[in-house]
Amino acid sequence: MGKVMLEVKNLKTKYVTRFHEDVFAVDGVSLKIEEGRSLGIAGESGCGKSTLALSLMGYYFAPLHYLSGDIIVDGVNIAGMKPDEVRRKVLGQEIAYIPQAAMNALNPTMKINDFVNDVMYAHGSKMKKSEIREMAEARFNELGLPPEVLDKHAVELSGGMKQRTVIAISTILSPKVLIADEPSSALDVSSQKLVIRMMRQLMQKGYIKSMIFITHELPLLYNVTDDIAVMYAGQFVEQGTANEMVFDPVHPYAKGLMGSILVPEAGTREVKLTAIPGTPPNLKHPPEGCRFADRCPYAVPTCRSLAPEMKTFSGNREYRCLFSVKKLREVYSDGTGRRSGEKPAGIDELIADQ
Amino acid sequence: MKGMKKYYGQKILWYLLTLVCAVILNFALPRMMPGNPVSAIAARSLGGNESATTIQKVYDDYAEKFGVNKPMWEQFLIWAKNALRGDFGVSFSQYPRPVSDIIASAVWWTVALQLPAILIGWILGNLLGAVAAYLRGVFDKAILPLFLFISNIPAFGMAVVLLWVFGIQLKIAPTSGGYGFDMIPNMSWTFVKSVIAHYQLPFWSIVLITIGGQAIGMRSMSIYELNADYVKYSRFLGIRDSKIVGYVFHNAMLPQITGLALSLGTMIGGALVAEIIFSYPGLGTTILAATTGQDYPLLSACTLIITIMVLIANLVVELLYGVIDPRVKAAQQD
Amino acid sequence: MKNTLKQVFHSGKFIFGFVIFVFILLMCIFYPIFVAKDPLKMIGSGNFFPPGTYVSQQEVVDSNSIYKLNIDTSASRFQMALSVENRAAMQEWLIKYGGIAEEDIDVTDAEGLAKLWISNYSAEKNGKMTSAKRKAYKRLDEAVQKAMKDSPLYLAEEGEDGSLQQIKKIGGSDFVNTKTLGSTETFLLGTDNFGRDVLTELVAATKTSLRIGLIAGLIATAIGLLLGLLAGYMGGTPDNLIMFVTNLFTVIPSFIILILISYSVGDAARGAMTVAVIIGITAWPWTCRSVRSQVISLRNRDHVNLSKLSGHSMMRIIFSDILPYIMSYVVMAMILQISSGILAEAQLSIIGLGPSTSTTATLGLMMNWAMTYSAHLNGSWWAFFPVVLVIALISFSLNLMNTGLDQVFNPTLRD
Repeated sequence: MGKVMLEVKNLKTKYVTRFHEDVFAVDGVSLKIEEGRSLGIAGESGCGKSTLALSLMGYYFAPLHYLSGDIIVDGVNIAGMKPDEVRRKVLGQEIAYIPQAAMNALNPTMKINDFVNDVMYAHGSKMKKSEIREMAEARFNELGLPPEVLDKHAVELSGGMKQRTVIAISTILSPKVLIADEPSSALDVSSQKLVIRMMRQLMQKGYIKSMIFITHELPLLYNVTDDIAVMYAGQFVEQGTANEMVFDPVHPYAKGLMGSILVPEAGTREVKLTAIPGTPPNLKHPPEGCRFADRCPYAVPTCRSLAPEMKTFSGNREYRCLFSVKKLREVYSDGTGRRSGEKPAGIDELIADQ
Repeated sequence: MKGMKKYYGQKILWYLLTLVCAVILNFALPRMMPGNPVSAIAARSLGGNESATTIQKVYDDYAEKFGVNKPMWEQFLIWAKNALRGDFGVSFSQYPRPVSDIIASAVWWTVALQLPAILIGWILGNLLGAVAAYLRGVFDKAILPLFLFISNIPAFGMAVVLLWVFGIQLKIAPTSGGYGFDMIPNMSWTFVKSVIAHYQLPFWSIVLITIGGQAIGMRSMSIYELNADYVKYSRFLGIRDSKIVGYVFHNAMLPQITGLALSLGTMIGGALVAEIIFSYPGLGTTILAATTGQDYPLLSACTLIITIMVLIANLVVELLYGVIDPRVKAAQQD
Repeated sequence: MKNTLKQVFHSGKFIFGFVIFVFILLMCIFYPIFVAKDPLKMIGSGNFFPPGTYVSQQEVVDSNSIYKLNIDTSASRFQMALSVENRAAMQEWLIKYGGIAEEDIDVTDAEGLAKLWISNYSAEKNGKMTSAKRKAYKRLDEAVQKAMKDSPLYLAEEGEDGSLQQIKKIGGSDFVNTKTLGSTETFLLGTDNFGRDVLTELVAATKTSLRIGLIAGLIATAIGLLLGLLAGYMGGTPDNLIMFVTNLFTVIPSFIILILISYSVGDAARGAMTVAVIIGITAWPWTCRSVRSQVISLRNRDHVNLSKLSGHSMMRIIFSDILPYIMSYVVMAMILQISSGILAEAQLSIIGLGPSTSTTATLGLMMNWAMTYSAHLNGSWWAFFPVVLVIALISFSLNLMNTGLDQVFNPTLRD
């Protein structure tokens, strides 16, 4: 078991809309990543995964606000630090971020090299400009990027090249945790491959110690990360290794989401793609009971009043549902896909059996 | 680099073509006016009681002198050839003063008034807009509607209000002319002082108008840039906010330069009318004299000079812009 | 559609602009109904009568219903008797020869000043001064003395024998009710250089100017939209040609073109509507340019491609797949065109190239008349300030509405 790089305990944050409404987009998230491992976070759009990515940085400015919880990076809790201290000591050095829209993440009127200088000096680097240049060239070379990129403006680079440049700049200070928010979703397939290869390289060469990869493209997660967590309405609903999550999901939402994956293995053709009907709850006023209850085909009246906690099963796996794992598996093998409201006989017993 | 050269070559060629079109328009349009200004001058020089043959003779004399008896295309060639040498013929309304003489004395007043006023208004407006976008809150809420209103006051309206308040009511500035009416232009200290005093009201009325429009443009441009993805990314890389604000305003400023080029024509149009309010001895007042005196050689020379000035300003802005904004440079090399 | 309207009316800016504009519009509609005067009738003989209510002097004197009011009229009598120049002269004398300290003299208090004068002034105190000045002070003293005395006015007429016979005595506390007078005329904004009622003229001028702006805006938008659609959708040679002309007119200031065309039309043909048309046909390039870039961004959208593949005609694609998407944009462009059309008319009129008509007033012409007769130099603010204000308010309200619309239709520009 490796050293824990990032541990998050019950993190809660909110953002404020321009109509001054609070949206509780991250509502009690806990996670743990060990050195050398990567965690994928999956979920529909609007489930709070991008807000989670920003919240994990420990650097909050409007419209994002910190409410409670701990963010422990390599043994240090950054949740209580002053913003300027976080900016100087944590951002880029401890935790680095790759934004969703890397296409526009670089200042269009600035040379890449000047931006690298700004990044270095923002963290109190004592290096000379020429030394930074040398270091940056070496790093770019190693990551398969031509060093000439440094002399260009962002507008002169292609989309894939821009994305890889962003990754190289984000990791130039060799952070312990890299948080990538949909880094490849806007790219063509070959650029996607290059980006994924680059992220692997970064891990292998030890430039980053761990990684969180956020996406709505599930097949990608299965190929890229060691573990997967499924997020729904501001909370994790299930967590496990990539294999477990794809082939043996337990939570009804995870089950539904994984049902939409096409894993290139035997038997895939027979698996029917199932879409999950309905829309996620409004996070301005989260529902009282289970957040998935409204869309869950197996929901019973209790689900709407009693909020389930995260429960551990078979070693390291966790899920959030009132039903026991055993009963859930029974229901799935039953295969009838009951709709909410049609209460099968004896289903209340399922809740008690824990 | 080759792409750049080709780009600039095309640009300059295009501007030359535009110039030719402008010259043709300037020549042709005023001459399409119904009525005959030459006969009016001939009648004025006579006095009324002459016989028909005398009138005809005098008229022919003038027609010969102004060249209006030749076919249009021939007139144009002669006019264009002379114009190249800076000779725009003789003024009808201030006969026998040559047009180039009138223009030469007016053009510097206009340039000296409008160029600094528009530039300073542009700079101040951008500063205020940027500050409003960055500070938001009360400053922004108070200043935006104010500038929105100011930018909607026509230049002549601002001119007349300033003139009335500062010139007539408070009596702290002279109300008309470019210098004291009792003076003859010379390099003496009293004359310079008088010129500076007369400069104030026209100058500030143009500055104020320009500030209003530019501040609004810069504010929305800055807000747009402040919401750009690179701002968020730079922040999460730990770059200081003060530095990021620098990026934002640099980027917001650049489109404002194109904005300046595009609105230059409109601004100068408004400023010319403001000149009239102050009877400033520039081109605006000259145009007024030309229209009231049906003096088309003077009118077309005025409009041509203004067109050429705007053309040059546009060309300069466009060339400069390509050099300083890599976004445009990238587009140019495509 | 309903939803969009609802959204639009949620924008504070839009509502504010809308309210101002509707107020101006209602003014133009309802004012002439209640005040059925000919807006260009020359009522006053003489120029620039200040705002106020005018009563017939003869009727006041002749009035038989006299009311005694216990109101001290001395303050206003002094106010009327002592002009600003007189007060300055009194102050000068009092300081120089009367030995009064400057801070003890309050020139705004006419009565106090007069009393101070009476108690201090005597011709002997005059030091060395020109005889003209000496006489001026004497006249001033007489005027002050007269104002101090509250003597009645006598109205007399010459009898048959040549002697004057008193027919009426008017006391200081005699008042007349204006309601009993037959002829009173109120000019809220005074009269202009031709003696016309500025307010009535202003309303008529606003109406004409709005009409000019609307026609100019419609023409400019129609031409700009048509050419922009053609250039953007067809591309190739038509695009190059249209863009060449458009670029030409963005570099050559449109105001200059406007001057040249207006001049070439000649005075006789230049009515208000001709001017509107001229403004319209010189203002389209800007709209054309924006419409074109919008169309280009739409041209390769999926729904347009689908329409093309289905073999729909160009007209149908433009009308059903492109136009609806740029309509909000076109409306905004037209609002700006209307406001710049009104401004263009005003500017043209000031340089003497506006509508050459004596039957209608426009805001620009009112400005032109005021400037020609030096209203701005002789302090007749009522002749030009309301005009400037109306132009600014129209333009302000239209731009506010435009900004409001922009925020609704372009979410990136919000807040």
